[in-house]
Amino acid sequence: MNEFLEQFLIESRELVEQATLDLLALEQTPESRDRLDSAFRAFHTLKGAAGIIEFPAMGRLLHAAEDVLSEVRAGDRTVSLDLISLCLACLDQVVQWLDEMEAAGNLPADPGPAADQLAARFKAGADDPGAQIAVAVAPDGPPPWVEALLAAYPDASAATAVRYVPDAGCFFRGEDPLGLIARAPDLQHVRLAPAAPWPPLDALDPFRSNLIIEALLGAGAGAVADHLRTVSDQIQVYPLAPPGRPDGVVSERARAILQAQIDLVLGARGEGFAGTLGSAGRVAIAVLGQAGLATSAVAHALAESLTAADPSRFADALADVLEPVASRAADEVSGPADPGGPDVVARALRVDVDRIDAIIKLVGELTVVKNALGYAARRAGEGEEGPSLAASLKDQHALLERLTAELQRSVTAIRVLPLRHVFQRFSRLVREMSVSLGKPARLAMEGDATEADKVVVEALFEPLLHVVRNALDHGVEDAAARLAAGKPETALIQLRGYREGERVIVEVSDDGRGVDPDRIREIAVARGLTSAEALTPMSDEEVIELIFAAGFSTAGAVTDLSGRGVGMDAARTAIERLGGRVTVRSRTGEGTTVRFLLPFTVMMTRIMTVEAAGQVFGVPFEAVAETLQIARADVFRVGAAEAFVLRGRTVPLVGLGATLGLAGDGDRPPTAKVVVTAVGGQLNALEVDGFGERMDVMLKPMDGLLAGMHGVAGTTVTGDGRVLIVVDVQELLD
Amino acid sequence: MSVTKSEDGRILLQGVCPIEEAEALLRCLSEVPGATVDWSECDGAHTAVIQVLLAARPSIVGRPADPFLDRHIVSWTGAA
Repeated sequence: MNEFLEQFLIESRELVEQATLDLLALEQTPESRDRLDSAFRAFHTLKGAAGIIEFPAMGRLLHAAEDVLSEVRAGDRTVSLDLISLCLACLDQVVQWLDEMEAAGNLPADPGPAADQLAARFKAGADDPGAQIAVAVAPDGPPPWVEALLAAYPDASAATAVRYVPDAGCFFRGEDPLGLIARAPDLQHVRLAPAAPWPPLDALDPFRSNLIIEALLGAGAGAVADHLRTVSDQIQVYPLAPPGRPDGVVSERARAILQAQIDLVLGARGEGFAGTLGSAGRVAIAVLGQAGLATSAVAHALAESLTAADPSRFADALADVLEPVASRAADEVSGPADPGGPDVVARALRVDVDRIDAIIKLVGELTVVKNALGYAARRAGEGEEGPSLAASLKDQHALLERLTAELQRSVTAIRVLPLRHVFQRFSRLVREMSVSLGKPARLAMEGDATEADKVVVEALFEPLLHVVRNALDHGVEDAAARLAAGKPETALIQLRGYREGERVIVEVSDDGRGVDPDRIREIAVARGLTSAEALTPMSDEEVIELIFAAGFSTAGAVTDLSGRGVGMDAARTAIERLGGRVTVRSRTGEGTTVRFLLPFTVMMTRIMTVEAAGQVFGVPFEAVAETLQIARADVFRVGAAEAFVLRGRTVPLVGLGATLGLAGDGDRPPTAKVVVTAVGGQLNALEVDGFGERMDVMLKPMDGLLAGMHGVAGTTVTGDGRVLIVVDVQELLD
Repeated sequence: MSVTKSEDGRILLQGVCPIEEAEALLRCLSEVPGATVDWSECDGAHTAVIQVLLAARPSIVGRPADPFLDRHIVSWTGAA
């Protein structure tokens, strides 16, 4: 890929991020001029960039979006939910192109018809959601799926047919397609079919959607499309227009009622104004819904009018509806766009020039030390001995030590990213999950400038997604239950990041119902994870931690069955792979906080050395709970294995040498030296021949022929030049 | 909110079954081919859970408590 395109990709991603944040903020505070200007600038700059790399389709799309935003700036158009959604869809398309360019290294040969259709939707009027979502009007009769659906239900008197093909990864984004269909207005019939033939059970991935959902609904196409707008790229909506209810046309009676509401609110001022406006709004929205028209634009205008104590916006929005509905441009949306999946990572980094300068300075100092050492070596070569040479060498060594430590810190600093990179992506995800689950929720972020190693930040997305989705799905109550519990209707999901010593802490909190320990106990026993006896001495806190146990939420086989578990144990596994830990705190009725404790960097690993079978091995320090010596008499056999009792808990004991397949431990001393390890809440003990020292090492993963070696985390070179093998305790004991 | 096995070997769907239960249900159905699923106490199920039922086609007893499932979904799972 040429540098020019590389630069374009970096800049465009930043602009898309900026524009997304502005749009989401604008949705919250539509009157924010700063956000509007900033979004406009981002779109404008993106358009310019598209022109520079000569990508006309992207230019056209962004131009259409820019026009609409410019109308908003001029006050000719108001910010509506639909307008924001359309602008976000436009950014999605841009991201898709950027991904294609990044993969292919050049411009997409065929930008596809999607962009121009999207651009046409901007022109068709972003305030008209009916026109915005694919409401297909067929020139030559209904498409085959509609005919088949109508043939299956000949008695149906539906107004709209919907075909919804959820894309395979939709569950992973927190979507529940049938849940969305279940809440669709005036649902009459549902047809289900597999998109591809069902595989045998052992090959079925339960977390990939393989469904085609078709439905007949009594509500008009506009209302149906509005209900399904969060999945607009996955649906086709076909208006059936039964006699008496042509879609999008307001009947004379409804028209009269709506006109009466306009007159009513325009006449109302002063005292009682809000009440009049509110009730007129409710009537109007009910009438519109009845007529099968989208209500969100009017609802939004109503809210604005109420805030501004000025009925004109609401009246104008209603008047717009009463305008003879222009022939709706039929813009059938092309096949579902490939979602800009969650795997997009920042592959190129922008590095602060100061950081580079610091490294260059350090390299200069290292050169000085190198020269000084050369001089000392010459003196030694000439046969010089004695304290002066030794002192000089000692000084150089001390200097070298300081410089290498600093260099290491500086290089690590290049690799750090602010948590913002991963946090940001949740603004939209929470918005979309909240709509698709039908639970109002907002996201608050704190400490998104906290930095952590690039590897850690990039790997955080998936575990965070599990936890956030879990919080919204299970933690947060629905709006009615929240109001009944005296909480605000809109749930609050908080992402927090901060440094604590050498660790980076990332927290996800919700203000939902909390985890019920008794319920956890029941499930744990029902699932056979643990026995009722084992649960008795456990505190509520310990019981709650069981939600991370493999097999609690998913079948434990994160890799075997699904290849990608959706659940808390998958989150825990991902965090532990980074060398971190997960904890959870919950208060019944008040909410749950899940904490990830992460290493600042994954480059340095603190290990403890041990001896076994005549060799030295490293054990990651974070896996070591304690070291102790026990009398051989206290070790008892359990079948073919050995165990001992530590503070009332039975701990299995294995010989490290034997486990690694090295020569047997030979004669066994009367006291056994053991390293007690704690991984995933499980205590195990490794018997070793001796304990060594603690050190910080840069772990090199095994590669080549050794890559598949079981139980080995990697290697490092020790001070005396030997290669030290560092064991992976979890893998070793599996 | 769970998939459990009853003492007589039936698989029970109770309460609202969230997405995680899809994997538990699939595991139960894989372990015991020909098992019977009872969803008479089911107040709702995520699409993924329903998808497992569609793919596995177990014999199903009971009508789910949730009206949407009862009215629109039961017939696609092969139940009476």
